[in-house]
Amino acid sequence: MTTAVDPVVAADPTAPVVTRRRRGGPWLAVVPPLVVGVAGLLLWETVVKVGRVAPYVLPAPSAIGEQFWQSREVVWRTGLASGENALIGLLVGAAVGLLAAMVAARFAFLGEVSIPVAAALNALPIIALAPILNNMFDSTSSVPRRLVVAIVVFFPVFVNALRGLREVDPIHRDLMASYAASGWTVTRLVRLPAALPFVFTGLRQASSLAVIAAVVAEYFGGLQNGLGSRITSAAANTAYPRAWAFVLGACVLGLVFYLVALLLERLVMPWRRV
Amino acid sequence: MTAVVLESVSKVFNAGRPDEVTALTGVDLTVEQGEFVTLIGPSGCGKSTLLRLVGDLIQPSTGTVTVAGKPAHTARADQEYGIAFQQAGLFEWRTVQRNVELPLELRGTSKRERRERAREMLDLVGLGEFASHYPAQLSGGMQQRVAIARALAVHPPLLLMDEPFGALDEMTRERLQDELLRICASTGTSTIFVTHSIPEAVYLSDRVVVMSARPGRITEVVPVDLGPRGEATRQSPGFFTGITKVRRALRGDAVPAGATS
Repeated sequence: MTTAVDPVVAADPTAPVVTRRRRGGPWLAVVPPLVVGVAGLLLWETVVKVGRVAPYVLPAPSAIGEQFWQSREVVWRTGLASGENALIGLLVGAAVGLLAAMVAARFAFLGEVSIPVAAALNALPIIALAPILNNMFDSTSSVPRRLVVAIVVFFPVFVNALRGLREVDPIHRDLMASYAASGWTVTRLVRLPAALPFVFTGLRQASSLAVIAAVVAEYFGGLQNGLGSRITSAAANTAYPRAWAFVLGACVLGLVFYLVALLLERLVMPWRRV
Repeated sequence: MTAVVLESVSKVFNAGRPDEVTALTGVDLTVEQGEFVTLIGPSGCGKSTLLRLVGDLIQPSTGTVTVAGKPAHTARADQEYGIAFQQAGLFEWRTVQRNVELPLELRGTSKRERRERAREMLDLVGLGEFASHYPAQLSGGMQQRVAIARALAVHPPLLLMDEPFGALDEMTRERLQDELLRICASTGTSTIFVTHSIPEAVYLSDRVVVMSARPGRITEVVPVDLGPRGEATRQSPGFFTGITKVRRALRGDAVPAGATS
């Protein structure tokens, strides 16, 4: 395929998503990162304990773990609230991004214009819109946070999908012409499936961004039932290990979103696993 | 009926602009039903352009292109030809089977018939057992065979091939040449085949159309009569005579007909 892909915008969508099975079996894929992780945690614990680092600078991992366990029910409840916001925002933003990309790809002029515009808009600190959006809706409304997530998600999905949709293999174009296929048939049978790797690159980026946006949007007011509100209130009460425990919760939530996106990618594109 | 007729065809790209290029000029060519015609010439002689004109992938600047007795545009709409390129151009998200089915699918052929026809074509190119594989699992030569199976799937009366074996190793190439001749003979398909290789052109063709560049035009048509092809053909004196004729025609110092044979 002759794809000239901007590496900054679409980070190598043609690369295999999951590393192939390596020599030495699955152990080699799991054990080294695990060892490094455990060693890192031990080092952290030692530095904090031996160096008598104040908890407001950096609490020990054991203290964070203890707080995490003690507040597990709150973490779960607030995590679910944030997760719901992130998921709804992600679905809306991705759907709108994909549809917009399909429209922009259909009309050459729109495609030319929209990529620089999207890049410029993407450079705006969208999170900073949160206080404005909060004032536009009731204080009991979940809409502002979901809206922030949707806007944040829109850009990576739109930009990546548009690139994928616009780049049709010239041979595929000639072939479809030789079959006398109409424009819509070409979109359905060639453009969309060829764009899937790009779309999923966008979705993978977006899935982590969605959680970040859902959590951080709460820092700026609005309904306070998610992880973000707990982080700010724990920090305000100088309960630093507890604040970190909620950060850990947000981290786990982000990881779950990313892994689900990755799993979906593998399920939807079986031909990329071979 | 004649398969293809080109009458005083020319093609100018970027007409009226500073980068105007005359890709083809004054082309007259007739391909008979069941005939195998090869286009050969240096890069830029317009042989791919000529093929694309026949396939109505581009339109001539002047002249007319008739395929299967109809204007090229109508012939394309009726899927009167199958086409294969130097790259296999398979759809990586479709299995081998579904790649071959695609042209049938676009013709509205029923699912059952599609499946049967694809199986038949894949057996023809010797890839029946790879039907459920994805293209990425096949070697380059196998992918090219799938592309040929796909081009043949609608049983087109005409096959257009643009250097389909160009990227293959010599062994695979010779095997596929024999396979292609066998398939064309058994189905009665007419073929226009673009190549850079003189031996390939002579081995495959009933007629070799020699072209030259700037502007692209037909300089000579070399008839080849080697009878049924086989391993022995590649060693036969007639084969080498044909190669010499085509080589001379390419250089532009053609000998009068009959002087070397």
